[in-house]
Amino acid sequence: MPCHCNTGRLEPSSIEDISKPSEQLAHVCLEDLPKLPPPYDDFNDLPPYKPLTESAREDYEATLDDTMTVGLPKAKSPEEEKEAVDKFLTGLQKLFSKEDNWTFLQPLMLSMEHCAKCQSCVDDCPVYESSGYNEIYRPTYRSEVLRRLYFKYIKPGNKWYKKFQQGDIELNYTLLVRLCELSYRCTLCRRCAQSCPVGVDNGLISREIRKIFSQELGWTQKDLHERGTLQQMTVGSSTGMNTLVVKDNIDFIDEDMTDRTGIEVKTPWDVEGADVLLIENAGEFLAWPENHGCIGLLLDAAGISWTMSSDIVGYDGVNYGLFYDDMQLARVATRHFEIAKKLKVKKIVMGECGHESKALAPISDRIGLDLTPRESIYTLMRDIVFSGKIKFDPTKNDFPVTLHDPCNLVRSMGIVEPQREILRYLTPKFREMTPHGVRNYCCGGGSGFAIQTPFNFNDWRNQISSRKKFEQILNAFKDEGHDPDQPKYVCAPCSNCKGAIRDLFDYYGAKAKSGYYYGGLSEIIVNAMVDAKEPILDWEMM
Amino acid sequence: MIITLSVYLSLLIFLVAIVARGVRIVNTPIHLRWELYPVPHEKGRSQYGGSRMEEVDWWTKPAKKDSINELVVMLKEILLLKGVWEHNRPLWFGSWTLHFSLYLLIGLMGLQVLSAILLLSGFSFYAEIPELYRLLLKYIAATGFTMGTVGAVIMLKHRMFDKKLRMYNTKSHFFNIIHLGAIYVSGIFWMIADGGFVEQQAELFKGVLSFSQFPAVPTAGIVHVAIVMLFFVYLPFTHMTHFFTKYFIYHDIRWEDKPNIPGGKIEKRIVEAVTQPVSWSAPHIKADGKKTWADLVAMTGAEKEEEV
Ligand code: SF4
Ligand code: SF4
Repeated sequence: MPCHCNTGRLEPSSIEDISKPSEQLAHVCLEDLPKLPPPYDDFNDLPPYKPLTESAREDYEATLDDTMTVGLPKAKSPEEEKEAVDKFLTGLQKLFSKEDNWTFLQPLMLSMEHCAKCQSCVDDCPVYESSGYNEIYRPTYRSEVLRRLYFKYIKPGNKWYKKFQQGDIELNYTLLVRLCELSYRCTLCRRCAQSCPVGVDNGLISREIRKIFSQELGWTQKDLHERGTLQQMTVGSSTGMNTLVVKDNIDFIDEDMTDRTGIEVKTPWDVEGADVLLIENAGEFLAWPENHGCIGLLLDAAGISWTMSSDIVGYDGVNYGLFYDDMQLARVATRHFEIAKKLKVKKIVMGECGHESKALAPISDRIGLDLTPRESIYTLMRDIVFSGKIKFDPTKNDFPVTLHDPCNLVRSMGIVEPQREILRYLTPKFREMTPHGVRNYCCGGGSGFAIQTPFNFNDWRNQISSRKKFEQILNAFKDEGHDPDQPKYVCAPCSNCKGAIRDLFDYYGAKAKSGYYYGGLSEIIVNAMVDAKEPILDWEMM
Repeated sequence: MIITLSVYLSLLIFLVAIVARGVRIVNTPIHLRWELYPVPHEKGRSQYGGSRMEEVDWWTKPAKKDSINELVVMLKEILLLKGVWEHNRPLWFGSWTLHFSLYLLIGLMGLQVLSAILLLSGFSFYAEIPELYRLLLKYIAATGFTMGTVGAVIMLKHRMFDKKLRMYNTKSHFFNIIHLGAIYVSGIFWMIADGGFVEQQAELFKGVLSFSQFPAVPTAGIVHVAIVMLFFVYLPFTHMTHFFTKYFIYHDIRWEDKPNIPGGKIEKRIVEAVTQPVSWSAPHIKADGKKTWADLVAMTGAEKEEEV
């Protein structure tokens, strides 16, 4: 079939191709993408994939594939290119040093040195599969590039022997700019790592590549760094909300929730000695305000002593450092811990946000001493729902529901059942996606992709990295038909996943075409409350 | 005597290199937690991939460990290559036969060490060692060599013709398979060349254990021993060390599940790590080669030069 874009499929035919200058290393034709289930199966009916503009191609290093998210401006001179290559080499050394990379040296070294190149991991990658198996997105491609660089430049030994064992690669500026972008074509979902019999973690390798660029060269994705962690550390939140604005917004949310449910909701601020410090992803307050309202309502209804913090960083659980930079990760998490200590709370409860939960609970467990314990809101909600303190009427949720598992909470933390127990109880038409739980597929917005929109990255995400999720959702509801007046709800209890699914549904027009809606877990719970005056899930407004 | 000395030398190189690799791994600093579920020791939860973090106030409750399930999961992986079966079925048969034949030959070596001890204790191979035992050794060897040869041929075919693998192959992959194949084929030749393979091998082990002369074996036997010894020297310098580093990957990373408890060992190691100077040079890191990780974490990353 001819390529609608007249370019034809492009992909590297060797690992070394990444260093060879060419206009573009890979191109995905829409015709090559796996077909979605009906009525989304005709690509001619689907939104077009906007190509990068000529001016973007002129100004930026756009030689990897059809999109950009880091968007590196073109180097001005060969000297600048050489300087970047030299810096990269220094960064590579630091990545394998005990002092500079104590945080991940052991896992990285083990992943670098023991890959059998058996490719058992590759078919489980949703990005690779959804790209029509374009070589550039194979989980082992970028890992292999870093591995060859590691063996060639860092690992001591005879150069011929190393070449014999691992193959060769040429380090040049072309490789550098492509590898930097390529590290942002993996959602860090770690599904491939589960499939590796040796235990090699290609997700971790992608993250470590991002780290060299961020921590040594200062090459970062702007939504994660400048508008992300830096803004959060200085203004208070990656949303740009300062303390005054956030308090104002929360006041408004509380009032609205009180009006709609007839149950008084009042968020407590800076209460010293409260049992629970609630830290949510502040993006919720702007994009899905009812999520915070429902959480507040449920905590009050269960009689829990809780508080939020108005300190800078204290009201935003976002920690994009998890995706690209250990120092930023540690800085944000350390602020969270300092605030918990200051307020003398018994525990931090992390809102419906996968990456916040993973960053603060297991990952940051080793960034400091005597840290306040952390708990996921899912487990607390499960206890609240089954405590008998609140009366529910599950028939209020009499619409088809399926559950999306956020990778960070299931695969990296093992929190699988609490959210299901709630849904099995409160939603009579609950059904699982296939596969689900720890073998779930990423929403496609993982590792911060959900908030990255430069150039045409949105199109890439919706066509490729979120494609598998869309297919899963369509299959989960396949017996329900596509009547737009019959709402079907995807429970996605994670701010980042919700962002990706919102964009996905908008992109394919899934609400108008099939009646697909999405939202959190707390909304489903409050929607089933006997005492709530009005349903919280208002399809007209969603 | 040269052969005997070469055997010692190759075993010594193997041991030193393996221990050195192990020490290098153990001596890496503590790392941030990076578990991957399912974690098989999570009692009652591992079947669906759950963890103790599913419970409210989980840190106040004792961890419930299921070491038997962990062992079962490990054995399934080691003996049956469950991961390859589930995620790369076309490769499974070749890979399993190649791996399983190695286990058989390692088992054979273990039994021959026992034979050697019996011989050194004065037992006679034919008169006093039961025939059943000798037959067992013979069948293990025959099965191992045959399976290994078949496995090597299949894996070679995959490496040569499988499109999925081709781009990622290096010369070493072919060398490794041919090397292993040569071990198995030479073993078969030794068995065919002389009906006394089992006894000769036992004598060989006796010689090694007692620092004595290499026994008389057919040329095929000498070739076999030489290839095996080369493999011992070569193995520690390849990715095939995953036979033991996998233990660290699973137990120290994927299934680690060790919270940082105040006053515990982990805490001490964290203090060591965060008091090292950091030298990353991106502007937001603010490192100067002297400031430690702990110093830098106290900053925001957005400070102006004059504030640093
Ligand atoms: S990462 Fe694992 S599964 Fe993938 S090629 Fe390497 S050893 Fe095989
Ligand atoms: S971590 Fe996820 S997205 Fe990245 S390579 Fe692995 S499976 Fe693919």
